[in-house]
Amino acid sequence: MLKTEELQINIGPQHPSTHGVFRMLVTVDGETITDLKPVFGYLHRNHEQLAEMNTYQQNMPYTDRLDYFNAMANNHAYAIAVEKLVGIEVPERAEYIRVLMVELTRILNHAGALGFLINDMGAWQTQLAFGMREREKILDLFESASGARLMCNYFRFGGVARDLPADFMPRLKDLLLAMPGFVDEMERLLRENEILLQRSEGIGILPQELALAYSVTGPVLRGSGVAYDIRKAEPYSIYDRFDFDVPVGSVGDVYDRILVRIEEMRQSKRIIEQIIEQLPDAQGGYMNPKARQNVRPPVGDVYARVETPKGELGFYLVSDGSTKPYRYKVRAPSFINLTPLGDMCRGYKVADVVVILGSIDIVMGEVDR
Amino acid sequence: MQDVVNQVINTTFGWNWPSWAIALIGYLIVAVILFAIAPFQMLFLTLYERRAIARMQDRVGPNRVGPEGIFQPLADGVKIFTKEDIVPDAADHWVHFIAPCVVVAPTMFMFVVLPWGPGMVPVDLNIGLLFFFAISSVSAVGLLMAGWASSNKFALIGAMRAVAQMVSYEIPAVISLLALVLITGSLSIVDMISYQGGLFISSRDVASVPDWGLGWFIFTPVGFLAFVAFFIAALAEGERTPFDIPEADSEIVAGYMTEYSGMKFGLFYLAQYVLNFLLCAITSVIFFGGWQGPGVGWLYAQAITPVNPQGGWVFNVLAGVLGVVYFLSKTYFFFFVMVWIRGAFARLRIDQLMDFGWKFLIPLTLVNVISAAVWVALTKWGAADGLAFVEGWSPLVRWAVAFVVTLAMNLGAYLYLARIFAHSQAERERLDDEVLESLINVV
Amino acid sequence: MDIPRGNIIVMDRRRGKLRVGQGLIQGLKVVWDHWAGSFHKNENFSQIHGTFTVEYPDERLPLPQTYRNMPVLLYDDESGHELCTGCYQCQRICPPQVIHITQAKDPVTGKMVPAATEFIIEYDACMSCGFCAEVCPFDSIKMDHVYELSTADRVSLTMRKAQLNRPISYYASIAPDLWAEVQAGAMKKLQGSIKRRPDVIGLAAVLTEKIKARRLELAAAAAAAPAAAAPAPAAPAAPAAKLTPEEKAAKLAAMKATNANKGVAAPPAKAPVELSPADAKAAKLAAIKAANAAKQAGAAAPPAEVPAELPPTDAKAAKLAAIKAANAAKKAAEQGNSE
Repeated sequence: MLKTEELQINIGPQHPSTHGVFRMLVTVDGETITDLKPVFGYLHRNHEQLAEMNTYQQNMPYTDRLDYFNAMANNHAYAIAVEKLVGIEVPERAEYIRVLMVELTRILNHAGALGFLINDMGAWQTQLAFGMREREKILDLFESASGARLMCNYFRFGGVARDLPADFMPRLKDLLLAMPGFVDEMERLLRENEILLQRSEGIGILPQELALAYSVTGPVLRGSGVAYDIRKAEPYSIYDRFDFDVPVGSVGDVYDRILVRIEEMRQSKRIIEQIIEQLPDAQGGYMNPKARQNVRPPVGDVYARVETPKGELGFYLVSDGSTKPYRYKVRAPSFINLTPLGDMCRGYKVADVVVILGSIDIVMGEVDR
Repeated sequence: MQDVVNQVINTTFGWNWPSWAIALIGYLIVAVILFAIAPFQMLFLTLYERRAIARMQDRVGPNRVGPEGIFQPLADGVKIFTKEDIVPDAADHWVHFIAPCVVVAPTMFMFVVLPWGPGMVPVDLNIGLLFFFAISSVSAVGLLMAGWASSNKFALIGAMRAVAQMVSYEIPAVISLLALVLITGSLSIVDMISYQGGLFISSRDVASVPDWGLGWFIFTPVGFLAFVAFFIAALAEGERTPFDIPEADSEIVAGYMTEYSGMKFGLFYLAQYVLNFLLCAITSVIFFGGWQGPGVGWLYAQAITPVNPQGGWVFNVLAGVLGVVYFLSKTYFFFFVMVWIRGAFARLRIDQLMDFGWKFLIPLTLVNVISAAVWVALTKWGAADGLAFVEGWSPLVRWAVAFVVTLAMNLGAYLYLARIFAHSQAERERLDDEVLESLINVV
Repeated sequence: MDIPRGNIIVMDRRRGKLRVGQGLIQGLKVVWDHWAGSFHKNENFSQIHGTFTVEYPDERLPLPQTYRNMPVLLYDDESGHELCTGCYQCQRICPPQVIHITQAKDPVTGKMVPAATEFIIEYDACMSCGFCAEVCPFDSIKMDHVYELSTADRVSLTMRKAQLNRPISYYASIAPDLWAEVQAGAMKKLQGSIKRRPDVIGLAAVLTEKIKARRLELAAAAAAAPAAAAPAPAAPAAPAAKLTPEEKAAKLAAMKATNANKGVAAPPAKAPVELSPADAKAAKLAAIKAANAAKQAGAAAPPAEVPAELPPTDAKAAKLAAIKAANAAKKAAEQGNSE
């Protein structure tokens, strides 16, 4: 037997497929991984401390920058947290618009995430380009409603920044017409492709117990077979008014995560259709409160969480009665989902690392904050 | 090439030049082909690939430099020439320097045996096919040199993968060609092309078939299976998706090219695209008749050739042009297929690649060699070879029987191997899971 | 486990199926369809085939009105008065704190006046959140649609007031609906704040020079007039000479206001007067009052600052002119009375 040595490779922080400045210290025996240590913190921007220096309102645009793929969902979580703390009621129409935006976010996130995942597997950006096409359409809608494509900053305490523009609904309906075609096509491209099956079936298995032990959330947890969705488990906003299913996987590998994401896009589309049906008429200016400098919640603390496309995003706020939060803590899904990476990768090949990392769907802005 | 030059100069013009002058002219022409055509092909193919794949992704692709972006490769070339050449301190400088040359040179040599049109082969070696594949494996040495000399872990892994992959996939590629060599009875590429005249059925198998230049090997079960196996192996050899594992950019940055910059990097790219072109070309030559196509054979029969010294030179030109058009359009079609596959599929993993090559492709090509033997027996043998029962059949019936028998053999082998392969995959996965469970018992 | 209003779907993994390349061919088919479909353009949202590239420098996506990029300051086209009063609301809410305002002071009394002498926005650090535009009580700061801002150095992205000034007509052209929503209120507040701004304070920087020159011209004309016409002292002559054009302007304004209001949809009723005819009436009234007041003031009143204006061209400017005339006349009258 030939004597072999273990080799330590640094994948990252500058690496094409680490989704940002993220480093994995990989120990390989040949091509097989014997150990993997995720190292993060390269993108740390002092988000939480910064937020404690800002007023409640000023933090809203900073939450956009957490997970820059899903600005709307982050806004939602933060808005809910502050509303809970202050005790602000949100008008019906504003709630519907919020949920609409968040579900669109879910579609665009999954379209992009699957595209990046397939890209990491080595497909030359085709799936990514298709996903980006749909994402662009949704971003156009976001732009017409909020004024910005990515950093939407659309939610306000007690409503949304402004009502939907007149051409929003027709464009949204057009978009929904394209959506089944897009999702089916994605499924045709991904679901039965032998190469993709080879690369994703049985790869990066995260057993249920381990997933729960690491408190993983989102599609990664559901891929492992736990039907846990905060929209169902603890309905916030108006999620208890919609019919939608929770897809779960059975094995917990990369393939299951892909399937769960595809199905979640369908369910999001279902929710959006119900929103279009139920959306109440505008009730005047009440649902569009302007940005307020003087939000002054009573002394107390609050934890509010939502199901973002990546998992449970929670904001823990402690108020000392001033206009600035005394403590501001983000429970970032990307960060928590990344922690079991070492266990998910051990025993697989080097090429699988990037696929497993891609299937977790992280955004470094949220991991490092 | 030299016999054509000799024919034109000494017989047609009657100048009676010495043989060394003829040889010199012949080699000059070959050299021009090598050094003018090859980089041009590379430049064209980069643009072609980028535009085609952009269309597949609903984009437009580079269209800014010149009309429809045709000068984009030149702009890229200027850029890559003017880039700084960075050599890592820890690198083995000489090996690092030589490696790109070692990779590029063999690909240039491969042009030597490539026939472009009727009578337009630089050197008609009688072992052309063997030369082609022998020389192509030399570049693996260069890849390993590049990976080793860079003293970079990604580069080393990439080089190891490249060598493993190239060595493994030479075997199915050559075995699949072996089947056709059995049928043709020759290793000369020119012979293989001339075998493929006819209409659906090769004129050499059934003499009564008219020669429309369409008797390609792809129309036989043996040729078809050999084509599929060879094309897959060619993808692996040319490091194309789904087998672009040695330079998997999402895993090991750029593989053996990681530490290269400037024109050295450009040379690797040149080698790769030229190799891709050559693999597409050899695919079209061996399975799709190369320059064979309607009209070329007839035109060439009227031209000045050693066989027909009284021909008209205009037919030489016409046959040449038509032949080159046929040949290049087939070649570019295969390159399109390569791009198409690149646009559609993800990349395999190195162990899966090895599994696929050794457990599926090689058995399949071996079965194909047996099919080829059956084919040869049924179409060519007679009572003298111990196959008396086919004596009474007409050539067409013999061909049809051979077709059916080999089709059944190949299809059966394919389905059987696919099933076995799937089982072995499942088994491997189960074993992987067991290993995994032992590894992740950390809860 | 049971969940309300929905089911748990366990994803079908299709195990045990013999896969001999069907999936690969399916994938090739999908890509082929896109290749074949890419020779036409992806026209609208409901299509998934066709190129969707926007060839940027040649073609541009239409920007929605709500689009926000970088904040700019608005000034009134005709009078050149800025809407900004230097209230610091934007500076206070700006999350990255890139807005820096210097409040203007009256050169004579040294008191604060509602205008900003300097207004700096560091574009390089601005996060385009749009809060400044949202909180501005005078609708003076608005989000621009220009996105081609690249420069070779960072310093040139620190925008001063002169670079930030944009005419209202520019903003009304990029976001007509949004401007129409706030128009009436913004203009009314502007009129209010103009009262408390002495001389050139609060004028758009781009127009300051122009307006100064025009004033000098008028002063020269006024100085020349008495020398040629009457032995009367220059000061009393000035109001008399100005009265007629002022009156004319006010009447013109009133007429124009009526016309303009016919064409333009009436802004939401935040204005002091509800309907367009009333608007006109108010303007007329103001004009008449101005005339009367000026008459009452008599010869002793010093010349008002008012007439240094470009000819009014639309409703709001006319109104503004009328109100200004009234104010000036009132002031003159007061001074006259006190004397």
